Amino acid sequence: MPHLLFDRIDEPGLNTIPVYERRGGYSALRKALQMPPEAIVEELSQSGIRGRGGAGFKMGQKASFLPKGEMAKYLTCNADESEPGTFKDRELMQKSPHTLIEGIIITTYATGIHHAFIYIRGEYQLQADILDAAVAEAEAAGYLGENILGSGHSLKLVVHRGAGAYICGEETGLLDSLEGKRGNPRLKPPFPAIEGLYAGPTLVNNVETLGTVPTIINMGGADYAKIGTEGSTGTKLISVSGDVQRPGNYEIELGISSREIIYGLCGGPKPGRTVKMWFPGGSSSPVLLEQDLDLSYDFDTLAKAGSMLGSGAIIVVDDSHSAFEVMQKVVKFYAHESCGKCVPCREGTNWTNKFLARIEAGESTPMDLDILASVQSQIIGNCLCVLGDAMAMPVGSIVAKFRDELEAEIEAARERANALPLTDTEDLLALSAH
Amino acid sequence: MPRPEQKIIKLTIDGREVEAVQGTMLVDAAKAADVEIPYFCYEPKLGQPVGACRMCLVEIEGIPKLQTSCSTPVRDGMVVNTQVQRVKDAQNSVVEFLLVNHPLDCPVCDKGGECPLQDITFGWGKGRSRVIEPKRHFVKPLALSPLIAIDRERCILCYRCVRFSQEVAEDWQLIFTERGSHTFVGTHDGHPYVAPFSGNIIELCPVGALTSQPYRFRARPWDIEGAGGVCTLCPAQCNVEFTVRDDKVLRVLSRENPGVDDGWLCDKGRFAYQAIHVDERITTPLVRDGSGELRPASWEEAITAAGALGQHQGSVGALVGGQASNEEAFLIGRLLREGLASADIDSRPHGTVELGLTRALAAPKLQATVQDIEFAHTVLVLGTEPLDDAPILDLRIRKGVRRHGVKLAIASARPSALDPNAQLSIRYAPGAVVEFLSGLEWALTAPGSGETHELAQLLRDGGEDVVILWGESLPPAALAILLRIAEKLGLAEREGAGLLEIPAGANARGIREAGALPNAGPGYADTTTGRDAAEIAAATAAGDIRALYLFGVDPLRDLGARAEWQAALARAELVVAHAGVLTEGIAAHADVVFPAESSAEKEGTIVHPDGRLQRLRVAIKHPGQVRAGWQVIGELAKAVGLDLHVLTAGMAFKQLVAAVPFYAGLTLEQIGGRGVRWPETEAAAAMPAGTPAAQVAVTDVASGPRPEVNGHLAAGTYRSIWASPEVEISPALKFTVAEQLVELAPEDAARLGIEHGSTVQVAQNGTRLSGRAVIRTGVPAGSVFLATGIAKDSANALDELMVEVVKSR
Repeated sequence: MPHLLFDRIDEPGLNTIPVYERRGGYSALRKALQMPPEAIVEELSQSGIRGRGGAGFKMGQKASFLPKGEMAKYLTCNADESEPGTFKDRELMQKSPHTLIEGIIITTYATGIHHAFIYIRGEYQLQADILDAAVAEAEAAGYLGENILGSGHSLKLVVHRGAGAYICGEETGLLDSLEGKRGNPRLKPPFPAIEGLYAGPTLVNNVETLGTVPTIINMGGADYAKIGTEGSTGTKLISVSGDVQRPGNYEIELGISSREIIYGLCGGPKPGRTVKMWFPGGSSSPVLLEQDLDLSYDFDTLAKAGSMLGSGAIIVVDDSHSAFEVMQKVVKFYAHESCGKCVPCREGTNWTNKFLARIEAGESTPMDLDILASVQSQIIGNCLCVLGDAMAMPVGSIVAKFRDELEAEIEAARERANALPLTDTEDLLALSAH
Repeated sequence: MPRPEQKIIKLTIDGREVEAVQGTMLVDAAKAADVEIPYFCYEPKLGQPVGACRMCLVEIEGIPKLQTSCSTPVRDGMVVNTQVQRVKDAQNSVVEFLLVNHPLDCPVCDKGGECPLQDITFGWGKGRSRVIEPKRHFVKPLALSPLIAIDRERCILCYRCVRFSQEVAEDWQLIFTERGSHTFVGTHDGHPYVAPFSGNIIELCPVGALTSQPYRFRARPWDIEGAGGVCTLCPAQCNVEFTVRDDKVLRVLSRENPGVDDGWLCDKGRFAYQAIHVDERITTPLVRDGSGELRPASWEEAITAAGALGQHQGSVGALVGGQASNEEAFLIGRLLREGLASADIDSRPHGTVELGLTRALAAPKLQATVQDIEFAHTVLVLGTEPLDDAPILDLRIRKGVRRHGVKLAIASARPSALDPNAQLSIRYAPGAVVEFLSGLEWALTAPGSGETHELAQLLRDGGEDVVILWGESLPPAALAILLRIAEKLGLAEREGAGLLEIPAGANARGIREAGALPNAGPGYADTTTGRDAAEIAAATAAGDIRALYLFGVDPLRDLGARAEWQAALARAELVVAHAGVLTEGIAAHADVVFPAESSAEKEGTIVHPDGRLQRLRVAIKHPGQVRAGWQVIGELAKAVGLDLHVLTAGMAFKQLVAAVPFYAGLTLEQIGGRGVRWPETEAAAAMPAGTPAAQVAVTDVASGPRPEVNGHLAAGTYRSIWASPEVEISPALKFTVAEQLVELAPEDAARLGIEHGSTVQVAQNGTRLSGRAVIRTGVPAGSVFLATGIAKDSANALDELMVEVVKSR
């Protein structure tokens, strides 16, 4: 198993420049500064690396969308990491902040950007403090600021702390928030690469994506592309949580089997328990079942299976939990985090949340599951950003895959509430005939 | 910026090929092709689409997801489907979602019957809701302001009101608070949303969440009728629709006209309709009896009493107020000149402008249009505060700057609300505008540095399309320089460039064109020169003029030189007035008062400052004994022995058109509901040519503000948007009636020990005014600004420039 980002990640002092440099840190930057900027973008394209934040868009392609030439362009590192189950960027920033900073400097050099931001979620206080210190250290060492290492490239890097909103992890919501506005997603197009922060072309990339850039430069894009599968190159940081015996962050080569991750690396559920369902890419990915465990863990395979790799956050749920409970947790989160800008998301998440409360109170019937499923399908694809889909997709998948269990849950809730027993429609018709 | 070029492309909507201008939003292109796509949040007047409501989703071939048609510009060859099942499903869904939290209290909702949410629910909803979950609750309704009630349960969070506040009025008061389904519209810290244009959000609201406090529960849509009209409370002349029930105006809505108002109204125009139906309004003729009391009288009695004007042949002075129609002004001119052998008629409170110069400044080619403001390279606002003088133009200027990159420059004595939007704001000292313009003219030709030179450079090199908005209060000497500057910049040669005068009276331009000037007859024709307003005052005070005819003007309220006018009114043997309200001068001095019409009752034409003739139409019948102005003038003329031959308003219009060469051929039908800009007609060639401004040697003159002199400050005046009798008597606007606000610089206030909001005295030669101090950071040290046009403590009592400001004990 190759370790690229997490190679000896726990080495003490790795968050400081001396240790980072001793380990070969900033050598990629020195190498990159000798290359023409276009060559770097070309290396990134060749590496085939796809965005590690959730959408999986090819990084090299995104960077190539940015207009060339001198103008007010920005790079924004998305460190809002707020998808439930995702905590990989936190570890990278905390233990090896210079990996990210080096990646940012190389990327800005490649794209002619002189102003970069790390937008970090407010809860990551420790990590933000570490980044602040690392940025100051990098400035003192001449890696940031004017004329970096005599290359003529200049960069001002600012660490900006968010105030606690999931939606600010959505790239345009992040930009609005960074501009000091209410963090609401913007209508796309225009895409940030054309009109982003302060209406200037803006490259928005995830921490892990940018953190991989030095590796790609060191290895060369072609060699990096040999790792992983054809459509999902490289290694991936994954966060595994839930009902496994060894939860945590792991670096894997894309394309290994999901069973290898959940059982091999993480030890599987506690003895006597089985995997009931698992979220392969954060709480917004449609759930998969035990029978899906042999799927190769890569972007394309998971998409084909009707789910997604997302941010690489695997949440495992064993048979001690009810499907209803899982669904309600997901719904409450997204109803709370919906920004309120567009109708299907605002009202859809809110309605679904109230719907589940009604099920819990024993005030619904199995027929209501049809409405619940139809509400989810009304949300999917109709929203301004993907937050609505992020609830509707997993909820829709749970309703489809655990229909019997949910019906039983509804019956049980009715019993608990001493509701009238449900009568067959046939019986009702017979009654009304009298 | 120049207007963009338009290219026609073809696209297919629902299997039908249609044409559209490239770049048009799909929803608009569809509408033009008779395909209705529903929407809530889209409103191009508010700027870029936000795509929030998702009501307008359509299928575009080649794009997997449904797209919001409000934000998708049409492209050549685009294939769009609005009637396929997945689009219908999406529309059903959005309607269902919107009603998840909507209370559906339509039977008690003011919007019921004229509600987009109702209409779209019927048109595009499934007709059946599956929502049985509890809805969200708020305390309701709450007063968002004294004028607007907010019902947050009905709100569908479409963003319109918030965008208006942030992107159109730019007052930044309305915001969203909380998030998700808890989101609600409010203000920072919950303070009331008080702003000059706040009422527009009522009209923008697609549900009953924002309702008008004065209109709430006064009528249902099936009780009312809409009647098109024009607001005559200021020269912006916004097009309005009066909501009429039982011959009463209950509401005023915008009747969007891009050439005039862009679909916005100020709160004065929207709410001062209340002045039509209040007890303070005069609705019968009044005649002063033997004991000196004004008492209601019959029309016969009043006409007979006013007919005594005929006994003062050659010795009657007439003033025409800004709300008079063209026809009224024209007939008054005839009454004076033909019936009373007098040429002493004026409508311009700021002194006579030499006729050649008047003509030159009004030359058709030199006139900028309202839309030119939006697309000019540079706009210079000179000696006027649009927010007070023609409020809706304030929004137009903001739009130009925000959306089309117009470079804005302000040159004024008093700070402007537009200063933050301006590239350059120059303050000259009160009374120093002539010096300022001399300096500017000099800077246009000579190199140099300083802000006047910066302005000159901006005007000269910042793009050819320069529009100069100038205030009527500029003294005649300044106008000669202005004309030369316009010539130097070649403004007459450019389609999108020119001058736009902001006069003091709503119809000042039309009144002048109709001949209510001491030195011009109808159509700016040569005529026997009479005395202007100031000279009439002096002559009356001296006993030279013995009778006054005041049509919609109270000299003590509307004009300067208060002491002189007081003497004149006291000395005049006969004062005949037309008035809607008994303001100070009329109440104390008029011998006969004819009840004046409101603009909702009047029939006639008026002229917008940019030359657009507009029609006033009868929306309601006259209340009480009120009669049409043209009719009263006709009867009065008869009483002095002159037959004007006007039996209808249309006859008066025909006489006017016959008398004004550049109106030749115009008919009321042509003017219609949108108006006709006469400078664009062929008849405009008949406008008498002006005299080119004499070239004079110019020099650089200092005009900047100077610090206090021996404790005295240089006083400038302003007339607030809220300074009008109509505002004073409208119950809904009571909270905003203008008072004497003394605007001081922080330095002067500190030196004088005056605190913001404290009471101060303004003194000059023994005259004292009381007012409330307003410390305004933009006021240059040494300057002070005082309100005129107000009922009490008006600055028109002051005759000289320098005043003393002291703390009240």
